[in-house]
Amino acid sequence: MKQLAMFASQFGAKITLNPELVVEKAQRYYFLNATLKKLARGDFYSAGLYLGKVKNGVFFPSFNLLDMLVDLAANKVVLDRKTAWLFICGRDVFRTGILRVCGSKRKGAATLVLNEFGECLGFGRITGSLDEAEGRVVVRNILDVGDFLRRER
Amino acid sequence: MSSREFFVNRYAQLGWNFRVAEARQAIRINQTNAKSKNLPERLRSIGVQLEKAPFLESGYWVGKSKVSAGATAEYLLGLYSIQEAAAQIPATLFTALRGKTVLDACAAPGGKTVELSDLMGNTGSVVALDVNKMRLAALSNQLERCHVSNAVVYNLDARQASRLSLKFDRILLDVPCSGNFASDKLWFNRRTLKDAERNAQLQREILSEALKCLAPNGEIVYSTCSLEPEEDELNMDWAVKNLNLQIEKVNCHGEKGLTEVFGQKLDASVERCKRIWPENTQGFFVCKLTKRTVQP
Repeated sequence: MKQLAMFASQFGAKITLNPELVVEKAQRYYFLNATLKKLARGDFYSAGLYLGKVKNGVFFPSFNLLDMLVDLAANKVVLDRKTAWLFICGRDVFRTGILRVCGSKRKGAATLVLNEFGECLGFGRITGSLDEAEGRVVVRNILDVGDFLRRER
Repeated sequence: MSSREFFVNRYAQLGWNFRVAEARQAIRINQTNAKSKNLPERLRSIGVQLEKAPFLESGYWVGKSKVSAGATAEYLLGLYSIQEAAAQIPATLFTALRGKTVLDACAAPGGKTVELSDLMGNTGSVVALDVNKMRLAALSNQLERCHVSNAVVYNLDARQASRLSLKFDRILLDVPCSGNFASDKLWFNRRTLKDAERNAQLQREILSEALKCLAPNGEIVYSTCSLEPEEDELNMDWAVKNLNLQIEKVNCHGEKGLTEVFGQKLDASVERCKRIWPENTQGFFVCKLTKRTVQP
């Protein structure tokens, strides 16, 4: 739970999940509904909503967790269609591709990356001033939904 | 006689004249995630050509498209799944899925698990089993991509499902099978009748085990993508005669199940099964079973 809270706080978000419904197994976190909690045995492979894993002391979020943060997070950038496509191909974001910014514009802050429909494509870290950095990378891609395709390779 | 001639001859004996067929790529809209997003229009706007599959509520065939349907943002966001059209049928045959405890006994790679969860609106619970641990990674990826929150996955052989000590209201048995030529170009070179017979035995074992886990008033949907009657009608005839199961009428795409196979007369109720010969879809077989309440 601490790992989840720390991760969420990077975005200026406070996540409140019932700790009784969060299950850790092999350093992977799952959020179960009450029915699943009663029914799931300890030897499951996965259960409920996968939230993320800790590897070598680093927390790697799932897209389920990022989705949960969309309504909570202060830090968000909304991309235009072309930039959104480039982002899910693993590219960083240039200032010109950003339609809207919410929350922190501070260099080094984590930000969720959304498409024009408000759907979460992943997250990144702000690398330059969002106010004045025309033509430069301003959000470094850390994780994007294209990861689902890369995992299959 | 070549393997191809052997099987083509068998299909002729079953009343179907062989013709080359290839299953068209199809998608299924995940209604839970895509609600009010007008997804077909959104996909058309990015160059994915869709044609509604007339026998499916949420299924579309993919026409010639500018982009791959398996690599759009909408796919990666879990708004739809790539799922062969006939394979979308089994999960839709259950009644009243919401809030139920459901078993998907041979679940990987997870297309039908996601579909079940979608039809349940992420309520109740889906227990997904697969014997092959390597395939569970693909299954878990599907569940994450589609934001499934009501499933628990075990690395367990369907023939050991009763070890979970659970009773299920609905059981999907999309059992391992021999496949068919419409989804595998080399099918005729790969398969023999012995494969079908071996699979048929495995399928009977899975069906017998599933019955132990079925709750009162529960439903089983059995499906294969095999055209071989050993894995289809003959197994259902066996289930009716040996497992005290009855075949329910279903209203879905497909022809009546065969009630006479290579001169052998089967229980008349086997015609309630649905057999789909390949055309726009792959070859498929599906039926719904319940426990018999009155002895014949």
